[in-house]
Amino acid sequence: MTHTFRPALMSLGMSLVACGAQTPAAPAPLLATPAASASAPVSPAPDPLGSKPPTPPSPPFLPPSPTVDLAPGGITVWLLERHEVPIVSCDMTVPTGASSDPKGKAGLAHATARMLEEGAGARGAIDLARATDDLGAHLATDANADASFVSVTVLKRNLDRAFSIFADVVARPRFERAEYKRMADLWFNELLERQKDPDATARVVYRVALFGPDHPYGHPWDGTLKSAKAMTLEDVRRFYAAAWRPDRAVLICAGDVTKTELMPLVETSFSSWKAPAAPPSAPLVPPPPKGPWPRLVLVDRPDAPQSVVAALKPGLVASDPAGAALWRVNDAIGGSFTSRLNQDLRERRGYTYGARSRFSVSRGAGQVVSWANVVTDKTGDALDAMLGDLQKFADEGLSDDEVDRTRSQARGELVSVYESVEGIAGHLAADASLGLPPDWQAKVSARREAAQKGELDALAKQFYSPDGAIVVVVGPRARVQPMLDKLKMPTPEIRDSEGNVVK
Amino acid sequence: MRPVSVATLPFVGAGLLAVSSANGRDLDIPFTKTTLADGMVAILSVDHAVPQVAVNISYDVGSRMEPAGRTGFAHLFEHLMFMGTRRAPIGSFDGWMEAAGGRNNAWTAEDRTDYFDIAPAAALPLLLWLEADRMRDLGPLIDQDKLGLQRDVVRNERRQSIENRPYGVEELELPKLLWPEGHPYHHPVIGSHEDLEAAGVGDVRQFFATWYDPSNASLVIVGDFDPEKIRPTLDTWFGSMPSHGKPADPGAPGFSDEKTTLRGVVRATISDNVELTKVTLAWQSPKHFAPGDAELDLVASVLAHGKESRLYKALVYDQKIAQEVSAQQESHVLGSDFVVDALVRPGVDPSKVEKALFDQVAKLREQEVSNEEIERARNGYEMEFVDRLQVVAERASLLNMYQAERGDPGFVQRDLDRYRHATAGEMLSYAKRVLTPDAVVVLTTVPRKEGGAR
Repeated sequence: MTHTFRPALMSLGMSLVACGAQTPAAPAPLLATPAASASAPVSPAPDPLGSKPPTPPSPPFLPPSPTVDLAPGGITVWLLERHEVPIVSCDMTVPTGASSDPKGKAGLAHATARMLEEGAGARGAIDLARATDDLGAHLATDANADASFVSVTVLKRNLDRAFSIFADVVARPRFERAEYKRMADLWFNELLERQKDPDATARVVYRVALFGPDHPYGHPWDGTLKSAKAMTLEDVRRFYAAAWRPDRAVLICAGDVTKTELMPLVETSFSSWKAPAAPPSAPLVPPPPKGPWPRLVLVDRPDAPQSVVAALKPGLVASDPAGAALWRVNDAIGGSFTSRLNQDLRERRGYTYGARSRFSVSRGAGQVVSWANVVTDKTGDALDAMLGDLQKFADEGLSDDEVDRTRSQARGELVSVYESVEGIAGHLAADASLGLPPDWQAKVSARREAAQKGELDALAKQFYSPDGAIVVVVGPRARVQPMLDKLKMPTPEIRDSEGNVVK
Repeated sequence: MRPVSVATLPFVGAGLLAVSSANGRDLDIPFTKTTLADGMVAILSVDHAVPQVAVNISYDVGSRMEPAGRTGFAHLFEHLMFMGTRRAPIGSFDGWMEAAGGRNNAWTAEDRTDYFDIAPAAALPLLLWLEADRMRDLGPLIDQDKLGLQRDVVRNERRQSIENRPYGVEELELPKLLWPEGHPYHHPVIGSHEDLEAAGVGDVRQFFATWYDPSNASLVIVGDFDPEKIRPTLDTWFGSMPSHGKPADPGAPGFSDEKTTLRGVVRATISDNVELTKVTLAWQSPKHFAPGDAELDLVASVLAHGKESRLYKALVYDQKIAQEVSAQQESHVLGSDFVVDALVRPGVDPSKVEKALFDQVAKLREQEVSNEEIERARNGYEMEFVDRLQVVAERASLLNMYQAERGDPGFVQRDLDRYRHATAGEMLSYAKRVLTPDAVVVLTTVPRKEGGAR
């Protein structure tokens, strides 16, 4: 409640970072001469700081790759050992997520993930939470577009006991009716609350507007008010049975554990987890979105002091190595404090606390969005500026400075991911869940470093040009509409906070 | 930039964060501390295994030092610290740092303002040079244009993170209700639009001259560097600044930091653009590191950490009257806020939730918590300590917090010991003394009627 941060640009999932205005570094000595104490000459005292110190290039960073093993039950195990701090973090993932939600059951992957920790093995929901907290462990479950996850982070001395709880949650969820009813009530109320959050609303609308309600990616992962009401415990049981099998699972561990410690733990904890005789289903690969897309979508938020303004485009699939270079392109336009969008909308015009862009990848399609939360009075001006910045970026590509700077920035960001065991395990689990190989990070890092201006410019044009972008505005319609009219935008398609077109 | 070699894996250097195998529990962050000629403190902590460095500079100034009619100014000033100097013109602080593969941020709180930079090891001289440059020269170079621009940004920060965010308005109201007029915590850190508008260039110069004195600052470097090489640089760049001496901490004259100023139950209701009603209880509680502070941290865990916690189990799981619950001891230098809150489920009378919250708090005043509950809460804190220390920037931040508040960057072990040694008897005693039913704020946030004014 007390800390207020300056840029609103701390962590944006997989994309972040930057570029600035590099000037040639003068060959200055690191240590300036201190001012002489007595009988100074007539000339002004020398500047104790001297000129800007040179910054030698940092060495490239090659992300480490995990070892890979196969446990007897069919679980693939990735391990990256780190022994400096006595913590271990593990993720179990299976390649089924929200894209497999059946028609009318948006949020089923989400509901299933939540139910995993509402009682498992010998413990009910409360006992399970208590046993986890007794160990000081962090246990979490989640589902995204393409995959489901269970993760645990714990001090090494408590690993055995925490791992046993983790295995229960993965392999022996209880799925009790009373717990389902309780979870479903809480979930429904969360969806009511989501409608009041402008950023959460915008994210829902991006997804529905870009992919359309019939596409596997065209609904919010956490569902809708209607689908949450329609869901049943039987849906959850069916989803779990199809998704969670040892022969579809990858276990990723990072931290203070060796292979000789980990593998027996996996074998013991998961000995009773068997794959059914029927062959496992292949991971779903949804097609790219087709359109036709609306040009302008408006969600009314009466009396709001700010509007969310955004430009949205289809992106890259996860397996496309061009994503490595797209990271740098994104850094240049909106992924860092010194990016073009932030410098223009925030540091030059003062319309916003921060303007950014982000690309996300998934198995079948990606999404690229540039956005800012802007003061309501400047909604039109801010949108105009944003589209202008995107147009210029698409037309001209990256400056030479941006080409250099984004290489350093992406490198610095990646190093930070590998600082904590949770960061490592989470990063690797994302790759594993998408079917990418264990050395994917090492491979694409080399490519990210090597990308030249031509490749970066082509990506800038393809993914950030405002041509064909869906413009989304979440703000007070009565005040915002006249501003949009002035920009010669087409009549907006009005949508509600769950992305449905309002007739 | 041409690659010269491939870095080895980054991670915390062995021995840097020692966790002894004997009891598996002892924390240590090795460091050296010196005071430079102008009074600035420099704390160095080497970790060669990480090919990066974190720099953290903390100034002993926060929103509680703001002059009357200038709420939000300490935070606005933080924004101005990025607005350029003669050596590093506007835009270059971020531009040069990000070009070198680094990044930075800052935060302002009631008691302190903290700036931090993270970059590849080779960029350390640049980070230090940029920080020394703005500490030395920035204030007098701020003009009306720079001030006006960052004022707009900060006002947008207020809109984005408070006014347009569900339950944000509560953050503006709670300090006013909990702390009396004239107390330095009476206003929120973000300040009012009116006061932000009123701030002028004269305020900027005065604030800089008073509070951004080297003797009021502490610098921490953590990571991959050679302390022998960097020391002379620190002396030259940071140790030779003009200083008026460390400004006196204004404290909270006339207010005790042990006795609450609340005289009864203070009730207020606000409306916000939210779906569910929220009930918040707040007490004045012991200041950071004072006796009772860690005990109340543990009490908060017992109340609301995890599904098995008392509030969650009773209000969310069993009675199903609340959607969410939380409890925190929010520690500050002059006194703390102990805050308990719950979101009320649709169709439930908020007074029922309020009563349930008070009932659970009453139990803490009547009977000792179980050993099992204490142990669980302690284990949670221990995990947080170890987890946080993996990251160089977090270590830098922690060293400076201990320096600012304890005068001892090496306080981490004793900090953890506070939790380890807390007893059920002490927790009961502080719950009795602090969480009283007759000196408490009860703030209710209700959904705004459609079309109605706030």
